[in-house]
This record gives sequence, C-alpha cells and structure tokens, in this order.
Amino acid sequence: MTSATVTGPIAGTKSSGPGIGRILLYVALSIGALLMITPFLWMVLTAFKSNLEIAKFSWLPDELRWRNFTEAMQTAPFLRYFRNSLFIAVGETAFTLAVCTMAGYALAKLPIRGSKALLSYFIILLLVPFQIILVPLFLIVKSIPLFGGNNILGQGGIGWLNSWWGLIIPLGAAPLFTFLARQFYVSVPNELAQAARVDGLGEFGIFARIMTPLVKPALITIAVFQIEAAWNAFLWPLMITTSDSMRPLQLGLAIFAQNPAEVQWPYLMAGTALATLPMIVMFIFAQKRFVEGMAHVGIKG
Amino acid sequence: MSATLERPTAAIATARRVPPSKDSRKLIRSQVRAGWMLLAPALLHSAIFLVIPVAFAVALSFTDYSFGDSWAWVGFENYSELFGDANFRAAFVNTLLYAVVVVPVSIVISLVIALGLNQKIRGLGFFRTAFYVPTVTATVAIATIWLWIYNPGSGLANGFLSLFGFAPSQWLSNPDTALPSLMAVGIWQGLGTKIIIYLAALQSVSRDLIESASLDGANRWQRFLNITWPALGPVQFFVLVTTIVGTFQVFDLVYVMTDGGPGTETMVLVLDIYTNAFQDLRLGFASAETVIMMILIAIFIGLGRLLQKADVND
Repeated sequence: MTSATVTGPIAGTKSSGPGIGRILLYVALSIGALLMITPFLWMVLTAFKSNLEIAKFSWLPDELRWRNFTEAMQTAPFLRYFRNSLFIAVGETAFTLAVCTMAGYALAKLPIRGSKALLSYFIILLLVPFQIILVPLFLIVKSIPLFGGNNILGQGGIGWLNSWWGLIIPLGAAPLFTFLARQFYVSVPNELAQAARVDGLGEFGIFARIMTPLVKPALITIAVFQIEAAWNAFLWPLMITTSDSMRPLQLGLAIFAQNPAEVQWPYLMAGTALATLPMIVMFIFAQKRFVEGMAHVGIKG
Repeated sequence: MSATLERPTAAIATARRVPPSKDSRKLIRSQVRAGWMLLAPALLHSAIFLVIPVAFAVALSFTDYSFGDSWAWVGFENYSELFGDANFRAAFVNTLLYAVVVVPVSIVISLVIALGLNQKIRGLGFFRTAFYVPTVTATVAIATIWLWIYNPGSGLANGFLSLFGFAPSQWLSNPDTALPSLMAVGIWQGLGTKIIIYLAALQSVSRDLIESASLDGANRWQRFLNITWPALGPVQFFVLVTTIVGTFQVFDLVYVMTDGGPGTETMVLVLDIYTNAFQDLRLGFASAETVIMMILIAIFIGLGRLLQKADVND
C-alpha cells in the first residue's frame, strides 16, 4: 500500500511530464542536429550553383548544374587526388591490420615474458601526438637506406619522401590499434587454441586461421577507424609530397582553397563533397563499429 | 571422470604435467618464439617512427640544425630565443586560449546532448549520425566549407545575421572575431566523438540505482550529481585528455582558414612549428618548440588527473 502511494505521484509526473518535457527535448535535439547538418547542405547546394549566383547570398540554386562536377574535375585533378587518397587509405589499412593484429594477439595470448610491460609501452606511445615528432620523423623518413637515391647509410637522396612508402608506412600501425586488437583478442576463450594445438596446428596457424576469424568484428572496427584517419590526414602529406601526382584529396582541396586568384566556390564545394561523402557513407553503414570501437577505447581502455 | 570428459584440454594438460615432459616445454618455447616474431614488426615500427623521433626531437632542440651538413650544439639558445620570438608568443597564447575555451565548452555541450540522447528517444540513429558527421569528415573539408560559410560577401553566416537584421561581420579577417570563429568550428566538429563516448558510458550507468534513487525522492539534478556523475569518472578523464591533446594539435583548420592571420591573431603552435621547420628550415628551433608543446600537454594532462582525483575524493 505504501509503495503504491510512493510510486503513484511519480507515475503521475511521468505521464504529464512527457508532454512538454519530451517535446522540448526533441526540439532541442533537432535544432542541434540541424546545426550539424546545415553546413553540409550548404556545401551541396553551393556545388550546384553558377559563379554568378554565388555573388549574392541565396539558399537554393536556380538550376542543378551537374556539369559543375565535371568542370571541377577539369579545373583541378580532383579525380586523381581521390584515387591517391583511396590508395593510401587501403594500403595503410592493410598494413595496420597485419601489424596490429599480430602484435595484439601476441600480447593477449602468448606467454611472453614482460608482456605487461610491453602493453604499457604501447599505451604510453598511444599518447604521443604526431605533431610533436613531425620534424624528426621527416628526417628519419628522408634517410631510409637504399630508397630514393640513398646509400646504405641513408644519405645522399630523399629516402621515402614523396613516395607511396612514405605516405603509407610511417603513419600506419598506430599503437592505438595494437592496443585495441589486444583488447579484442583477450576476450576470446583459450579452449579453441588449445584444441588446435592438440591437433598439431602451429602457432602461426592458430593465430591466422583459428583466433583471428573470431575477432572479425574487431578487425572491421580497426579498419573503419584507420580508413578514416588515412583519408582525412593532411599535415603529413603536406610535408612529404612535392609532386602533384601523389597528392591526396585533402591536400588538393587545401591548395585549391588557397588559390591566390578568386576561389571558385562551386568547384571547391564540388571537390569538398567528393572528399566528405565517402566517409559519411562509411559512417552510416558502419555506425555500430564506430560506436563499439569508441566505447572500447573510452570506457574499457 | 566426468570432469575429464568435460574438459579434455585440462585433462591433457594435467596428464602432461605428471612427468615434466619435454613436449610441454617445447610447446611453451614455440609459443614464446611465435609471440616475439608476431610482435617484432610492431616493435620495430614503433621504435623507428615513434620512440626514436621523440628522443631525436629533444636532441635536435639543442642544435642549430637546418638540413645542411654543418651544425653545432647550441645548448639552450633555441629556448631562450623562443621566449623572445613574437610569433611563438602569439602562437603560445592563442593555443592556450583555444584550449581553455574549446575544451570545457565542447565537453559540457556534448555531455548535455548525450544526456538528452540517453532519454530513450526515438530516432537515436539519426541524431547520432547527425552529431557525428562533422567528426568523421576531414578537417580540411570542414575548413573549406566554413571558409565559404564565413565568406563576408555571400556566406551563410552573414546571410543568417541579416535574417535578424544584424550588420554583416568580417569573421576571419577581423582580428577580434578571427580566433573565436575558429573556436566555434573546432567545438562544432569535435562534439561527435565525445557524445558517442558519453552516451556509451551513460548507457552502462545502472538503471536500478537511478530508479531506486528517484523512489527515495531524489530529483533529476540530485540523481545526476550523486549517481551519473561519479559513474562517468574514468570516461571523464579519457575525454578530457583526448580533448586537450586534440586542441593542442589544431593545425588543418587554421592552415586552410586563416594561415595564422590576420597578423598573428590566429597563429597556433603547430602552424608556427611547421613554418619554422619547413619554410624557414630552422629544424633545431622548431624542435625546441615541439619540446615545449610536449611539456605543456604533459602539464595539462597532469592537471586533469589532479582534478579527477579531487573529484573522486569529494
């Protein structure tokens, strides 16, 4: 009886509360979402406008000028930039997946002495921002031996500067992903590996054919984050590429935006749409992986 | 007997343990060997591209190296010169200002939005996508979009102001509004990650606890202060640290939108480091700047840690 009187008023406020409170909540969230999306809408709308139209502020284009996109491709090699970005993203992701799953598995499942210390080593490195090491990293990449005209001591040439190697390898395999991979392997039970061992499967076979297929969702999470990071990278390509043929999309956009003559906004927005849409589509499809990955790092990590 | 049937591997393990067989030791040894071989690429990669560069940065900061063949140790000369350098001072102050504004504002906004999204609302997927889209997008692309939004002639920002009858602003070319305009974009872009992390953390806060507290007559604010807030503890620290490190790294946004201008109003540390190293080719000088940035970040993380400890002790 007492419990009924206690729950009574609360249930009462709940049924009257949802009315106004809920509506206010939805209104507030919708305004927030609108603030997030409007700049992208504005980008797409501008991409369809003519140079004449953008001289004055307006929302909608007079007509959908699809030819802006083809004309933008002719003004700047956005398509080649796009292919370069794709190549870098795929290469870096493959490299990261290979290196980080191996290390993560070893840290999680194999009886290495000092694996705890090694884990803290990777966790500490995870905190080192790239910007702090950009000068020495440039010098190291410049002196990779036997590449780019360098001798065996790494002198005389440009090493990995202005090369696909330089664009892909140094920023791949971030400690964050080794740590993430380790977290995922830890949660896989040992019994399967033991059974495979009894059946005579070697350690590498157990890693590649038994344990890794079990963490496939985790691999997708790592891949999604790595693709995003590689696709969006800017400072490093800016530092090490000198030839236009190797520039990724973000760098191409920045150069186009800094055109000393008048910036052609519709073309720039068409190029920007090309740069943003793949990642937005990837997020919509892999939303669950993004959320899970972040929860893993932020909450359990 | 039934135990051995259920756990054959355990049975084999114990059977092997009875005579300390060569087989099991061999098995362990092969596992250790495999472990080191699997770890080797990651260790090598991190040593070459992370550990050595950090040490190298510190060493370089005590030299006058500038790509040439001849260089010399100069002690603390780079550091003492830095503190008299106008660009560095502007970059230092602006970066601090940027962090001091962006970190708390973006954390508060994203926590509020996450609390809203945690109310069992409909369309969670849509809202989550909307708030995360700016985060998943390249900062350069964001910068070009906002460059156009802030365009004084026909940009969206001034179009919006004129709706309410306000005079148009110069935004990025006005010294008073340039840095705040950049901060707004930084805050706007960074909400997504924090919202998702907070939301995941909020969903793991015990519903029973909250319900029993509301049965005991605790109001919304009391429930938040006494249950939700403490439960967010470790996540708070993570969000704080990553946000601080992120704001100190701000570069793409500034490089594309203002290139440090007007004057040095929006000069930030990484842009100054980049300019010193790759335009003026003063690598030693730029390295000293990165060392100072490293120390700054460490101090901020330490402060965050203290704050968190104080919060827990309360």
